[in-house]
Amino acid sequence: MTHKTLWILALALFSGNALAANPFEQELFKAIKQGVQEKVTGKSATSVEEETAIGRQIAGNLLGAAPLVKDAKLQKYVNNVGRWVADQSERPDLVWHFGVIESNDVNAFAAPGGYIFVTKGLYKLLQSEAELAGVLAHEVGHVIRQHHLKILQQSKLLDLGSQAIAKNVGGGNDKVQGLIGSGAEIVSRSLDKDAEFEADRIAVVLATRAGYDAFGLPAVLQQIGHFAKDDGDVALLFKTHPHPDDRLGKLGTAMDDRFDGVKGKTLEKRLYRVK
Amino acid sequence: MGIAKPVLSLSKGSTHPTNDHVFPEYAKGTPSMNTKQWSLALAALLLSGALQAAESGTALKSDDIRTEPFRDAKSVAKLATGDKVDILKKDGGWYQVKSAKGKGWVRMLSIRKGDARKGGSDTGGLLALSSGRAGTGKVVATTGIRGLNEEELKAAKFDEAELKRAESYATNKSAAAKFAAAGKLAARPFDYLPAPK
Repeated sequence: MTHKTLWILALALFSGNALAANPFEQELFKAIKQGVQEKVTGKSATSVEEETAIGRQIAGNLLGAAPLVKDAKLQKYVNNVGRWVADQSERPDLVWHFGVIESNDVNAFAAPGGYIFVTKGLYKLLQSEAELAGVLAHEVGHVIRQHHLKILQQSKLLDLGSQAIAKNVGGGNDKVQGLIGSGAEIVSRSLDKDAEFEADRIAVVLATRAGYDAFGLPAVLQQIGHFAKDDGDVALLFKTHPHPDDRLGKLGTAMDDRFDGVKGKTLEKRLYRVK
Repeated sequence: MGIAKPVLSLSKGSTHPTNDHVFPEYAKGTPSMNTKQWSLALAALLLSGALQAAESGTALKSDDIRTEPFRDAKSVAKLATGDKVDILKKDGGWYQVKSAKGKGWVRMLSIRKGDARKGGSDTGGLLALSSGRAGTGKVVATTGIRGLNEEELKAAKFDEAELKRAESYATNKSAAAKFAAAGKLAARPFDYLPAPK
């Protein structure tokens, strides 16, 4: 659809409602308009404040399922590594948060606005600070390209659309449904495979910009590739991500010889070890 | 390898423990080692041997084995997809490998650790063949019983106190830069990678 058609469609459908308008309808019109704008410009119309508020809600829910590992030094350490990596991205002005959560699962999560969590199960696999940097940088990649936010924006539009239908049929005036769905479900949703490959490509670049060895994330992927698919600890990771072998293959093609001669630090000794 | 010799010596010591008096010269040769000490030494050697033992790997795609870890280095042989290698060493983005085709350096990203992925596609399913982490090859259900599954995440309740604790650990640009400097990490420009076609 062209730019123009979308606008005409949106206006035709909702102009009447927008003029009359109870709060719900105003909200709906705003959402539709925003959705159309995003389709047209490719840019997010969500403000940084909104983005952070959404991320904060998701992070709080995730922590409700798996609390932080009670080790202040560890948490400080991952914040230092993560922030240094994130500061090499085009969004150094977000208030970035990183944490290690109590779970034997091997996984990492990103929420909009810069909330990033690694499970203890994944953390324990790490052999160097460069590997930690690589893992965090992958999640930073999701945040800066707003991968999860885009899913939410799409579903927001859909939810509001279905609300409008329900309203017309039943005449009820239900509250607009919670934007993020239930709990922290959003973090367990699969992103587009291309979003994962993109985050991998961003990760090796951010790690390199930060002075680390670029091959931290690939080393972790090789390690995770060892796990059997039926291992409960990686079940969710394998379900929501392309197989590590495929990620390595794609990353290898993208990196090609660009990193030849680019040395970086691995900092094995500085990696904070958890008990 | 260095292990071979002590193992041989031990087999003498342990399978013929009473030979010490028959072959006194042998006993003299190792005055401080009795059978038990030899066993301990063997255990230590086996252990260190196991730790040093080359990790096995499989070629993810065909790639050259080179004499040095550089793109311009001379090619020794060409690995084909699925070829087995022993990984000896890592240097940046390169592995030093030994394979039936020759020994040399291969790009790390052309190799996966362990055996080739079993079960073919990554589409998965409720049943998946164990690819041998436990080495049993048994078939079990893959439902993510342990850990963070979708149901758990869906049911999760907002935890304000824990979130505040998480936020309290945040650092800022200058502190992160100081931390980086302490590790001799220097920021440098590097362009994003284009998506491969």
